[in-house]
Amino acid sequence: MGIRQPIVIVLLLIAFFSAISGKPLDGLLMLLVAAGLGWDAARAGSREAAAAPPGSGGSLPQPGLSATVSAEPPQPQPALAGPPPRRSWRTAAAGLAWVAAGIVYAVVVGSFARFSWPATMAVVGLATLVVVIGWQGPVRARPDPGPLPKPGAALWGGVLLAGGLWELGSLAQQTGLDVTSFAHPTISALTDPVLASHPGRSVALAVWLLIGWYLVRR
Amino acid sequence: MNSHDITVGGYVAVVIAGVILEVVATRTEAPVPSLGDVLTRIMRTRTGRVGVLVAWAWLGLHFFSQ
Repeated sequence: MGIRQPIVIVLLLIAFFSAISGKPLDGLLMLLVAAGLGWDAARAGSREAAAAPPGSGGSLPQPGLSATVSAEPPQPQPALAGPPPRRSWRTAAAGLAWVAAGIVYAVVVGSFARFSWPATMAVVGLATLVVVIGWQGPVRARPDPGPLPKPGAALWGGVLLAGGLWELGSLAQQTGLDVTSFAHPTISALTDPVLASHPGRSVALAVWLLIGWYLVRR
Repeated sequence: MNSHDITVGGYVAVVIAGVILEVVATRTEAPVPSLGDVLTRIMRTRTGRVGVLVAWAWLGLHFFSQ
């Protein structure tokens, strides 16, 4: 069942909490992605079970492997054929065009007030496009780093968890979900003064775009 | 030092811990993967890939959309 995928459960939780904290659109989008991933994982599981020879156990998870890994083989990566081609002027021009488009997006969308409909449509549109592109697979080949050293990977997990718990602790100490506290500020509360101005919003959007660009190329 | 400073200090500590891990991963032989390697590994499956991209999308939605 696709709904048992950890990521699907996490997305459903985010959808629920987003909806009850006054962000119904966020909640709806998370719910749609969760449903899509759950359906996709369930379909992949069914295909695996149908392809497995009788008595082989079908798609039962292997000991020591997570459900995600066992139910879904890694996506095929585009072939890495020799050294990368030399950068031509066309590549450079395309890169400059992307940078210019990003700057225009950050400046224009940053001029809209936060939580306004124009800002919402611009961010939702781009976010949806990037997730749809990511759904197809990586846009370029990257060498597989291989299995990660577990203690080192756990350290990254620990940092992420510590940050999340610290934020959650601050949120829990507010008098209400949407009432910021000076004594226990959340990251949102700390960034409010920066995002109150047009330049601040444009810089934040540019950083958001850069992170998205970095991720979509992984 | 008041509660505000301690709370902000906690966020700064998390960021510094991340920077230290990245430096250790990229500048030493310690068995610590870089953040890029962790993301690449996570994003090898569709669920991992979409999960990471949705986390990025959520940030934009959270800070800018209704």
